[in-house]
Amino acid sequence: MHLDLETRTRKDYIREQKSLHGRKVMGVFPAQYPRELLLAMNILPVEIWDPPLRTREASAHLQSYICSVVSLGLELILQGKCSDLDAFLFPHTCDSIQNLASIVNDYLGIHKPCYFFYHPKAPYKRASRPYYISQLKELKSGLEKQFGELRETDLKRSVDRWEEIRKDISKCYLLRSEGRLNTSNRAFYSILRRVEYLHPDDFHPLLTNFLQSGRTETERQGHGVLLSGVLPNPPEVLDHLDAIGVRVVDDDLLSCSRRFLSGPVSNSDPYEAMAETYFSLPPCSTRGSAIEERLNHILKKIRSSRADGVIFLIVKFCEPEFFDVPILADSLKKEGIPVLVLENEINQALSGQIVTRIEAFAEMLG
Amino acid sequence: MSIAPEIRYRFMKDIGAPLVMGMAGLKGKRKAAIKRDIPLGPPLKCSKRLKEIMTRHYFLSRYAEGARPVAWVTSGAPVELLRAFDFYTVYPENHGALCGAQKLGPELCSIAEGHGYNQDLCSYARIDIGVCLSGKTPVGRLPRPDILFASNNICQTVMYWYRVLAHHWKIPLMVFDTPFNFVSLDRSAITYMVRQFEEMIPELERISGRKFSEKKFKEVLRLGKSSAMAWGEVLATMKTVPSPMTIFDAFVHLAPIVSLRGLPVTLEYYNVLLSELKDRVSKGIGAIVNERKRLMWDNIAIWYKIRDFSRLFAERGMNFVTATYTNAWAETISYMDERNPMESLAKAYSLVILNNNLDHRLKLMERLIKEYQVDGLVIHSARSCKPYSVGQYDLKRLLMERLAVPSVVIEADITDFRAYSEEQTTTRLEAFFENIEDGG
Repeated sequence: MHLDLETRTRKDYIREQKSLHGRKVMGVFPAQYPRELLLAMNILPVEIWDPPLRTREASAHLQSYICSVVSLGLELILQGKCSDLDAFLFPHTCDSIQNLASIVNDYLGIHKPCYFFYHPKAPYKRASRPYYISQLKELKSGLEKQFGELRETDLKRSVDRWEEIRKDISKCYLLRSEGRLNTSNRAFYSILRRVEYLHPDDFHPLLTNFLQSGRTETERQGHGVLLSGVLPNPPEVLDHLDAIGVRVVDDDLLSCSRRFLSGPVSNSDPYEAMAETYFSLPPCSTRGSAIEERLNHILKKIRSSRADGVIFLIVKFCEPEFFDVPILADSLKKEGIPVLVLENEINQALSGQIVTRIEAFAEMLG
Repeated sequence: MSIAPEIRYRFMKDIGAPLVMGMAGLKGKRKAAIKRDIPLGPPLKCSKRLKEIMTRHYFLSRYAEGARPVAWVTSGAPVELLRAFDFYTVYPENHGALCGAQKLGPELCSIAEGHGYNQDLCSYARIDIGVCLSGKTPVGRLPRPDILFASNNICQTVMYWYRVLAHHWKIPLMVFDTPFNFVSLDRSAITYMVRQFEEMIPELERISGRKFSEKKFKEVLRLGKSSAMAWGEVLATMKTVPSPMTIFDAFVHLAPIVSLRGLPVTLEYYNVLLSELKDRVSKGIGAIVNERKRLMWDNIAIWYKIRDFSRLFAERGMNFVTATYTNAWAETISYMDERNPMESLAKAYSLVILNNNLDHRLKLMERLIKEYQVDGLVIHSARSCKPYSVGQYDLKRLLMERLAVPSVVIEADITDFRAYSEEQTTTRLEAFFENIEDGG
């Protein structure tokens, strides 16, 4: 690792990637997209989930009832903070991101190429997989016009690389759930979320180092909870859980395990392998999975991680999660599992009320 | 299907429903005689027939369970496929609109909210979940569905919502996944959609217990297309000055094309309505007494304010003559072709306004503004409907820049009037009225 990743800002990192490695940089909106494809074309995906901004200009374009992931993403563009990006990619995640994509592409006149990625929605059918592969190939053809030809060998290498990284991410989760990764909640997610903008050349060593240095053989102390929702935000929630000795032992977060912990890949064809990854991802509200399926997935995680309770961190106005949570929360409670549902803006400071609720919840854990 | 429910259904269809329809008609007549709004023109005669049709539909639905396979369907789903299997279809969105018009939105939404559903969710969904959880409905009773049939061509919300229903009813959810047209519709998307239809057929045969008949399917397509074209002609009469109908009438008369698409009664009804409107046009009869300004509406109706808005605008000589919403059920029907049923169905349903990028919507609105000689635009920013609402602020700005059309944004909701501020709306509308009277 030749950069001091702890101190370097994301902006500096992006600039160095461009100047030192000749990489192109693409701003990618949440959530699910074929990063292997971009990386194989020497394009660095930089994900836009929760830029540290206040909404100022975006309110001239978006109503007050639109979630902060979408409004802050637009704010980042409107404040001119995307000048280093060569293009944008909008996966089809929800109605708000769908229309945001169209506002940026059709109305703003920002003069940056916009790419789109539609992934088929569940319940999956026989037609879903060929369509997913056709979308991968269409995205590739579109990108080639701007970024040059993609060599099949590069794609294969990139798919294999990402598979290795995913295996190590899975290892992190496993050790974490077993209590054998001795690190704070905040540090765990801080490392994991570097995947949102670091190149694998930097991220993978960081991750393996984290795995080695944090590994411990001592048993887990204190209570463990599973986090569900979109993001581990606001991060102060993690700090507070650390402070009261509650460990996040696993998650069902859209930005984390829900898009990383897919099944093992067996296909040697890179497109088939990417499809295999996509269709084996854990159940997700944004991809249309049945609620029952997601519930069973969460229950399985609770059992394997020995979580004592579940905290749903819901981004205000997030429809996909809002629809799932009542049934999930109710069903978990019926199983005797303590549940806490917190609704917040992604960058909003932790209120006294939320702190009190977290503390009361921790007391319930026994 | 067992025999007893079948006999009961047939009895109600042949004897019970005509009786109920007659009563509904009488009730409507009494109401019409009592209420007569001065700024409005004569009421449409066929409103009585519409009421009969919709009353019959909901009345018969109570007896459909066990007699016919029952499906709950989203408003944009390709129902023609279900009709070929003789499904009795219920449209929760239409039912939600009905509840909204009767000002029952907050009451039914509150039931869902009491079970943890957030107040910021689509109020059609909250009403429907509230109805499922409580059994309360102004139509007596909704039949238990055998299947849920949804398409995300209108929003992703319906997918989330119908998953909740699937969990509640423990029944299959069939989704027609329509890739969003970020740029344009491509061959791979068409192939994907056609393959989905092909996979649905054996599943529908299993659930309905009926074999797929291509002949019947084509007949349904023909009827569906003719009905939607007739609906398009109905809307086109509003290009006339003065317009023979207001958009508030159209919101109400939309019900058959949404809920009974592909059935003979819908085509019959729109032919009757069209004939009445043509007669009005020939006699120069306007929907409002003094049509001075012509307006366009964007987004779903504010169902609980239809009557108030109808009068408010008519008093100022302002008539809504077009809406992106009502146009949606006529816009893409030309793609439908019974000679190439699956592919044409895929095109007709995936090219609708809400499955298209915002540039498409801008161009559509520009065309409607010109064709209908629109002087001003009222934009309903509906909390319930993000795909319809996100982008409206830019649309407003761009339409002003390109066509100098004055407009106003009303922040409200389709059925939940707790999200509606009378004071704020009045202030905005007053400014709009001044603006439009000053010529923009």
